[in-house]
Amino acid sequence: MAYSDKVIDHYENPRNVGKLDANDPNVGTGMVGAPACGDVMRLQIKVNEQGVIEDAKFKTYGCGSAIASSSLATEWMKGKTLEEAEAIKNTQLAEELALPPVKIHCSVLAEDAIKAAVRDYKQKKGLL
Amino acid sequence: MGSPCHFALFGLQPDFRVDLAQLAARYRELAKAVHPDRFAHASEREQRLALEQSAQLNEAYQTLRSAPRRALYLLSLSGEALPLEATVQDPEFLLQQMHWREELEELQDSADLDGVAAFKQRLKGAQNELDERFAECWNDPARREEAERLVRRMQFLDKLAHEVRILEERLDD
Repeated sequence: MAYSDKVIDHYENPRNVGKLDANDPNVGTGMVGAPACGDVMRLQIKVNEQGVIEDAKFKTYGCGSAIASSSLATEWMKGKTLEEAEAIKNTQLAEELALPPVKIHCSVLAEDAIKAAVRDYKQKKGLL
Repeated sequence: MGSPCHFALFGLQPDFRVDLAQLAARYRELAKAVHPDRFAHASEREQRLALEQSAQLNEAYQTLRSAPRRALYLLSLSGEALPLEATVQDPEFLLQQMHWREELEELQDSADLDGVAAFKQRLKGAQNELDERFAECWNDPARREEAERLVRRMQFLDKLAHEVRILEERLDD
């Protein structure tokens, strides 16, 4: 199966790979996995006092589509408020990356990782 | 229900604990009996039937010989089948998976064959432990949630074991 140019670009030059301090009270960590393909995805956000995501990092073990989905997700999240980030849909990621139907679940995983990171941050701040 | 129970095909009761050597032997026996070559001169209907049985037998064998597939199948017999594509949120376990993947990456970079062997042994140990825990709880409806979590973990370790095999082959060359 051929990957789209955008997937290849994110796969070869992933944006924002790395790690933020999970113990930092301003950092939210989302950890999700897809058992059928064994993918593991960690997505982290650092939120400033205005409630804006000022940094986002990810680390994904999985296929090119999973890496591209999480890479794009971190790119889109930066500079957004938590509410805006939570509104990112997997369909938007899939469309931007031109994912084929069999790889849609990779974008679902990325959306779930975004939500998990935001939830973790809110839990830390007692907002839930 | 169109197809017979995978376990019944082998004359077994549904159970997680399966003697794999015995299963393989029984499979070879049964496969011989329905092998298409034996029906080369049979009627078209008989040929088609043999082909169907052969396919069913293969599917059953492939399902039962793999621990995670067997576990998923058992859960589908005793309740609703788990969705194929799902997002798992099992933070502690996933964090460990992340560490193991990192470790494997380092072993790959350093081409450390002894390290890979030790890693493989540790992984096997973790798989055995999961298998034991699943065998204890899969048949207890009150522990369904636990059984589902365990089978998801088994799937991840199965994929990781696959990665290890690929790495071994690459380092062997």
